[in-house]
Amino acid sequence: MAAVEATVGPARPRRGSRGGAFAILFAPVSLLIVLFLVPMLLMVQVSTLVDPFDPSSGSTLQHFANVLTDPLNRKIAVTTFLIASTAMVLMLAVAIPLASFMVFRAGKWELPLLLALVVADELNPIVRIWAWRMILGRQGIVNWFLQTTRITDAPVEWLIFTPFAVIVVLSAGYLTYTTIPIYAAMKAINPALFEASVDLGAGWWIRTRKILIPLAAPGIFVAMILVYVPMLTDFVSPDLVAGTGSTMLGQRVTQLILEGADWGNGSALTFVLLVATVLLSLLAFRLARLNRIQT
Amino acid sequence: MNPNGSTAEDRTGEIELERVVKAFGEVTAVDDVSFTIRGGEFFSLLGPSGCGKTTTLRLIAGFEEPTSGRILLQGGDVTRVPPGKRNVNMVFQAYALFPHMTVAENIGFGPKIHKLGKAEVAERTFDILRVVQLEGMEDRRPGQLSGGQQQRVALARALVNHPAALLLDEPLGALDLKLRKEMQLELKALQARTGTTFVYVTQLATPKELYQRPATAFVAGFIGVSNLITLRADRREDGLVVMDLGEGERILAPDPGTGGDVSITVRPEWIKLASGEVGPRASHVSGTIADVVYLGSLTQLLIDLRTGERLSVHRLNDEISAEEPRPGDRIVLHWAAEHSYVIGSGVAPAGPQEKVETT
Repeated sequence: MAAVEATVGPARPRRGSRGGAFAILFAPVSLLIVLFLVPMLLMVQVSTLVDPFDPSSGSTLQHFANVLTDPLNRKIAVTTFLIASTAMVLMLAVAIPLASFMVFRAGKWELPLLLALVVADELNPIVRIWAWRMILGRQGIVNWFLQTTRITDAPVEWLIFTPFAVIVVLSAGYLTYTTIPIYAAMKAINPALFEASVDLGAGWWIRTRKILIPLAAPGIFVAMILVYVPMLTDFVSPDLVAGTGSTMLGQRVTQLILEGADWGNGSALTFVLLVATVLLSLLAFRLARLNRIQT
Repeated sequence: MNPNGSTAEDRTGEIELERVVKAFGEVTAVDDVSFTIRGGEFFSLLGPSGCGKTTTLRLIAGFEEPTSGRILLQGGDVTRVPPGKRNVNMVFQAYALFPHMTVAENIGFGPKIHKLGKAEVAERTFDILRVVQLEGMEDRRPGQLSGGQQQRVALARALVNHPAALLLDEPLGALDLKLRKEMQLELKALQARTGTTFVYVTQLATPKELYQRPATAFVAGFIGVSNLITLRADRREDGLVVMDLGEGERILAPDPGTGGDVSITVRPEWIKLASGEVGPRASHVSGTIADVVYLGSLTQLLIDLRTGERLSVHRLNDEISAEEPRPGDRIVLHWAAEHSYVIGSGVAPAGPQEKVETT
């Protein structure tokens, strides 16, 4: 705080600017506390009560023990991790070239493309996922095409209600959130760096690997956090296109709480997910060695 | 003059542009330019922004392909050769250092791509760091260096590839005036040490040669106050062109031998305020002071001549002078014949692209 003020300039009275900053921050901070912190603390409390609806029932770690030892939960966790990771890789494979195209190649199409990405995300998720059912279904567009062109004789069965379907729908659903942080990071790259590397003899691959990816890494990292966490807890997409073999953790939480009214175990599982995502983020941070990048 | 001692056969570092045209849609940035840069030369392209000098440099580097014409490097046609495959390297306007790499990684980038062994890359990096006087800085990142140091890393990153020619695009533009002057000297020294051809694009630096002996009125006007005078050739004698103004007054200049009237320029600091006898080989003319501008260490006098031209005269303020000149005063000026620098006949029409050789 003090450091920020010092750079603003010594002419400005200190007390006044601090009061101003407080006034500006008051509304968002109180919103954050009411809407975010309070429910989270409630969730933690519920997960540690013997009777989730009776605060005087005493505390216990039983719910956590239940959640962590349930073999079904473990199986679902593995499935979720595999599906989310595959979708993540797929999205990065699309988002990095797409963002790079938008920033360095698209020219006048840059803004329309950005707008298209945002609009795609604004669509109601239920509508979007139903559209995927029309595309991937037994009598869907893909199967119609495959059969009309006589590539296959019978409808392909694994297109829907399989992990494949969940991966496709998740990737399409979170592509906007993956692309935009990467786009923003690439926007900050000085295009002359590519010319400099070309001048020194770099081809396409070295430019991408040594200049583009390292400098876009902060954006890639933000995209991964932004997308991985909601994918782990998403239950709408798997509910609509997943089969019995591809249940995900988000669905498991809704099952526990909404169907089983098991608030204790449901909250504990949510808390475990939260801790897992924080740990994953820190790991990604270390791997990306973001602390080394200063521009 | 030429460190490589190049002869007709030895074309090391030689760059040749043959009738090069570069058009961007409707706009012709480079219009029919031809010149040859000899190996080991320090070649400056000087001009106002937007005149096509950077485009010319990018054509040599290979970032632009000419609309027509040919570019030859050391005698070989490189017109269609991509930038990475030409034996030239560029120092970019804002250096374009890789911010996520250390100084050593930046410098080693080119040699590594060209598949040099680890030991050789390290050795070349070490050598070039010594040349640009950045020993001990190899593990810093560009963000931790001063502007001058970044500039030197950019030079090292290009020179480490042992290019036949180094192309510099406004390399000093981002530096402050004092540092710019220092780096300019350093660049010259570096060029002399490495013997590499330097092609230098700038609108800021004014090489001494250019200042004192501009090739055209355009150059004279571009680089500063120029005191252009059109000299009517009344007499030619003793290797001088003389314009008689009556009452013993005259303006004279060395005869370029072209015949007809000539245009001359006189630097403001070479014009003296007359007192006493004036030698026979000196211009001698009276005028009226139009304005007096105090500039600190010197005073600028604007003087209207009877020929209708206005001269700017610099007068050092270190002299103890009894009377300060005031607007309206009549004043007599004189300067030596060799300080009348002939820039052509009439007011020479000049293209935007000026070739200046300072070696």
